[in-house]
Amino acid sequence: MFKRRKSLALAAAATSAVLVASGCGGGGDESGGGEREVTWVIETLPGAWQSISSAGGSVYVIQTLSGILPSTGGWLPDAVTYEYDMDVLAEEPTLINDDLDEGPFEFSFTLADDAVWSDGEPMTGEDLRVTWMMSAGPAEGYCNGCDSRLSTNPDQVEDIEVDGKTATVTLKEGQANAEWMGLFDSHSVAGGFLPAHLAEENGLDVDDPDDLGEYFAWMHSERPEWSGGPYQIVSGDLENEVVKEPNPEWFGDEPGLDRITFMFNTDEGTFVNAFSNGEIDGGSPSSYNEDVFTQIDELQNATTTIGEGAAWEHVDLNLNNEALQDVELRRAIFTAIDRDEIASRNYGAGYPDYELKNNHIFGNDSPYFVDHFEGESQGTGDVDAATEILEEAGYEVGDTLTLDGDEVGPFRLRSTDSVVRNTSLQLIQAQLSEIGITTNIEVTDDLGGMLAEADYDIAQFGWQGNPYFVTSGSQYWGSDSGSNFGAYSNDDVDELTDEAANAPDLDTAADHMNEAMESLVPEAYVLPIMHEPYYSFVNSDRLAGVEDNLHSSYRATYNIGEWTLAD
Amino acid sequence: MLVYTMRRVLGALPVLVLASILTFVMIDVSGDPLADIRMQQPPPTEEVIQQAEERLYLDRSMPERYWLWMTGIGGNGDIGLLQGEFGPSTQGPQYEIGPAIVERLWTTLRLVGAAMIFALGLAIITGVISALRQYSKLDYTLTFIGFLALAMPTFWLAGIMQAGGVKFNQLVGDQVFATIGDGRFRAEGQPLGDQLLNAFAHMALPTIVLMLISFASWSRYQRTSMLEVMNSDYVRLARAKGLRNHVVIRRHALRTAMIPLTTVVAIGVSSVIDGAILTEYVFQWRGLGDFFITAVDNNDSYALMGWLLLSGVIVILANLVADLLYGVLDPRIRYE
Repeated sequence: MFKRRKSLALAAAATSAVLVASGCGGGGDESGGGEREVTWVIETLPGAWQSISSAGGSVYVIQTLSGILPSTGGWLPDAVTYEYDMDVLAEEPTLINDDLDEGPFEFSFTLADDAVWSDGEPMTGEDLRVTWMMSAGPAEGYCNGCDSRLSTNPDQVEDIEVDGKTATVTLKEGQANAEWMGLFDSHSVAGGFLPAHLAEENGLDVDDPDDLGEYFAWMHSERPEWSGGPYQIVSGDLENEVVKEPNPEWFGDEPGLDRITFMFNTDEGTFVNAFSNGEIDGGSPSSYNEDVFTQIDELQNATTTIGEGAAWEHVDLNLNNEALQDVELRRAIFTAIDRDEIASRNYGAGYPDYELKNNHIFGNDSPYFVDHFEGESQGTGDVDAATEILEEAGYEVGDTLTLDGDEVGPFRLRSTDSVVRNTSLQLIQAQLSEIGITTNIEVTDDLGGMLAEADYDIAQFGWQGNPYFVTSGSQYWGSDSGSNFGAYSNDDVDELTDEAANAPDLDTAADHMNEAMESLVPEAYVLPIMHEPYYSFVNSDRLAGVEDNLHSSYRATYNIGEWTLAD
Repeated sequence: MLVYTMRRVLGALPVLVLASILTFVMIDVSGDPLADIRMQQPPPTEEVIQQAEERLYLDRSMPERYWLWMTGIGGNGDIGLLQGEFGPSTQGPQYEIGPAIVERLWTTLRLVGAAMIFALGLAIITGVISALRQYSKLDYTLTFIGFLALAMPTFWLAGIMQAGGVKFNQLVGDQVFATIGDGRFRAEGQPLGDQLLNAFAHMALPTIVLMLISFASWSRYQRTSMLEVMNSDYVRLARAKGLRNHVVIRRHALRTAMIPLTTVVAIGVSSVIDGAILTEYVFQWRGLGDFFITAVDNNDSYALMGWLLLSGVIVILANLVADLLYGVLDPRIRYE
């Protein structure tokens, strides 16, 4: 609760009649002293109470549900270590069969005997089965009305057999998944798993697609009174704040706080005042705001961290444009673009340790990282090299770039209207003018529409990364992918990315993916720039135990059960 | 008066319908309601997008959608203004526009209501004082303050007030003012005094901002109007009859001088609602202003239509109330 003292009531009384009434009312210092409560800020309103649906599919929903949803595990902040949640699981999940010649790909999860929901009902394999059915795509037919935003992994599943606390998952014939352990972990579409028994309590049969659709809608629209984590939601809504208190039925280590308020504040510009005023004790925003970060960083009681976030910026060329079908022109364009200048101008002040992204899929600290831009001129801003490429290909470089006497371009250079992207577009425009290419900057407020209609020649936008990678390649560059906006097509890349998606283990999948990038990079289709930095801040006088997990949608709330008051 | 009121209400209906057609068309061509879904990573399947299109009636033509929005005929029971349904939201099937508007209306009314009452009171007092002490130091001071408030952009004033609130708290060593949110869940279950204190802490700064925006112009109108009335014949006559000065001012001058202000305040309701958009955003109040911004951000056509319709109704109602108030303030005006 907002801190106050009686003495201040008198001061306030002088300013308003409302305060006079308040002063007479008595009140007291409820929030001082022994109360272990903090306020955490989330910078966007969550769209729903669950994250499976397209409306609820955001990190803000996931973070709002931190400490509520149980999950089978997740990647730790180092992005290398995967940790199973051994409070929830009785044992590490078992990979029963990964040899497709022997039979279908099969694995199982067994939940801990003492794992229960906040109403005392035991967690069972049925919870996993119902979560899977709601996460699967509409075409699977388990649920009418479920609009899972990410059904790739659930759609691979043929069946889940339940035996009490154990759920045995069988994939469809011929399908493998090196990331099988993630089906119900904190990175999954549900952010964990949901209770099944509440469906029956609501008179719904989960095996009836209409009933399951109703349960799905109920889950997304009703504030969860249930919990399978260290905290439970006691009050709040999706527009103002959500208040959490310890779950008395929690079967793991006792949480360190009595009350955590998640405040939704959509104006990042107000964070500094609110933090200074003690109204918020921390946050881990999903976008980088240099002003806010540097101002908070200067505050005495603030502990801040900053690092490579999950989203990465890149420049894409649209191969539907006839001129851009020439790979030499594409290579010259990417060579003339100076990635370092773009990165340093945008992020250098707040994050001077930035690193350029030299691998489309793997971060610089990933064990699978291979530098695909080593020795490449692309992204260096080397005008001489770009000019050489063009002249060798028959272009004439002058004030205006021409081919057979005709001007090449002008090109439409597009992105959304943000500070970072505006700066980028202006730099790219200036850099390309060095090789005689004219670009016209056009910003859009409908990036989705712009990309879907391939309404650009050169575009800068971002992808959201994830420690799970096996399907990313086919999504970004697959000839049939809806996200391959610039119409790139290469049979070798298609084959390699398909093999990565169906590889039996992560090492093999990573090898295929790196091989695909070896073919992709010389074709100059997508030029990665860098990961957008993410920052977190904590009032170190009030809150301890917070650690930002840049690779998780939960971000700093991933270990909410370990948060405590500062000494 | 009833006939007059009915006539005014009926006259307003075609205006509202025309305004709704115009805004529906403008909103419809302004963006893709499914842009956010299409941009999700990894992208959702075609079935999911198709499902969303059907849910939002995007598989119908624009005129069909308007007809649906107005009547609900041919819809799925979640659309049709005449049936009390505002339509589906891009913010998901769980998001109901009607209840959201009602809840947010209450939030905004708290803020706007308090601000207007304080602004009106302050404008009348300062306007009258300025008029009675014309060209005095006090008049110049109040005039200066008025123009200063008039010149300040809302978002800037709000930011200044927030910073000022934080400074004040630091100065007194306690948290008197809150800078974000309306704190509705913070005092749940607490004693009444605490709840009122909590409400004050969250309400004070945004109310002052909204109040200052309106007060400035209103006080100038009140001053001008008061000066005009004070120089009129009937006031001179009242003085000649030997009535005391305060009686002349209160009973004879002030009532008449408030008629122009009533008009200005009625028209000013829309300005206060506009001001509330920025004020609510800066102070993070989930009122109608924030509802509007969220709807724009989400390309939520039906939510925007609901907001615009409500704004139109409020402005029309405010003007109607002003017309009726003329009769109360000036006995010569009758609505036969």
